[in-house]
Amino acid sequence: MLTKNTKIIVFFLFILLGAVLITYGAVFHSTNVLPQNQDGSPAVAKSEPALIKEASVGGVRRDESGKIKQTYTGQSPEACAT
Amino acid sequence: MPMVEKTKLSKLASKFIGWRMWVQSAFLLVWLDPLGLRMHTVCSPVFHCYACPLSTFACPIGIIAQFGALHIFPFIAVGLLIAVGVLFGTLICGWVCPFGFLQDLVAKVPTPRFDLPKWTGNLRYVVLIVTVLAVPYFFGEGHWLFVCRVCPAGALEAAVPNMVGQAIGGKEIIWPSALKLTILGLFLIAIFFIKRPWCRILCPLGAIFSLFNRVSALFLRFNPYQCTECKQCHKMCEYGIEPEKSPNDSRCVRCLECVGCGPGALTLGSIFENSKTNTPLDIEKLE
Ligand code: SF4
Ligand code: SF4
Ligand code: SF4
Repeated sequence: MLTKNTKIIVFFLFILLGAVLITYGAVFHSTNVLPQNQDGSPAVAKSEPALIKEASVGGVRRDESGKIKQTYTGQSPEACAT
Repeated sequence: MPMVEKTKLSKLASKFIGWRMWVQSAFLLVWLDPLGLRMHTVCSPVFHCYACPLSTFACPIGIIAQFGALHIFPFIAVGLLIAVGVLFGTLICGWVCPFGFLQDLVAKVPTPRFDLPKWTGNLRYVVLIVTVLAVPYFFGEGHWLFVCRVCPAGALEAAVPNMVGQAIGGKEIIWPSALKLTILGLFLIAIFFIKRPWCRILCPLGAIFSLFNRVSALFLRFNPYQCTECKQCHKMCEYGIEPEKSPNDSRCVRCLECVGCGPGALTLGSIFENSKTNTPLDIEKLE
């Protein structure tokens, strides 16, 4: 059972953790994504917000080698998992 | 015997209880993208499919699963759920989430309702661990148990409108998988006979928020001195919870219906208020 003060400390620790994760993800975190046209072009670094947008249309995939590839851009395809 | 402490927060909550459906409706203006902003670089803290033609934000559960399939840690989605969870707990479910609201609306239809055994609430954690974390990470998004492939919100909010659009546009209709259609059918039947079946048995987002119920800044406060053991709150709670025994039960969606109990032993509390019944430990001390 938690006392009031412990609850407040726990609350602030969680808020701090949430804020740190959001800030890190929004400002610093990026991932290298290979372009859609596999013409030997190098991977481009995508920020986490950009990757959220791509993931929300199922536009990025991880291949067997572990590389992240852009599969398409724009609206989600009609045969989307959702 | 301590008198009822009516704090500003509990007074405000009592005023709003009768307006809960209107609050839920007002939040639809946030989630259903009336301005066509389509801000899918940002996750929302509610269960609303990002493949829905009317969705302002990205679904946090879909993003956690998709990132899991990519083997990337979803810092933003996880941080958001921690921050929102520790502030509100399942108050989000009772007042803000559109998929919970949809089930609340159907619950207005006067059909017989069946109760659920208590243990079914734990299935949500199984869904969270299996379909959102383990399957995406180990098998990728193509696996049939990947959350979006079995999610009724995705079927109802995305697949159905897409199919209607295809039919209207004279295009070939692309049907979802048989499994997804079955889940959608079962969901549509269940919501007429069980109060909020998805939220109570399967929702992985509700499972995450429920983990915060015991430590969240806003919580359901019980004053044992005010309780007359009339058990009115048992009848008021449609989720089979006995709020005077476990006011911050993980199955509670914080609809706050029980706050209207005659003796006023249950109120919405905040960890920042000075109250004799602010935490479970304080209640023990009073006893
Ligand atoms: S299918 Fe379900 S889990 Fe996936 S993005 Fe849509 S609402 Fe979220
Ligand atoms: S349990 Fe899930 S679907 Fe239900 S209200 Fe909460 S977040 Fe929304
Ligand atoms: S315990 Fe109270 S707040 Fe929680 S679900 Fe039941 S009636 Fe709603």
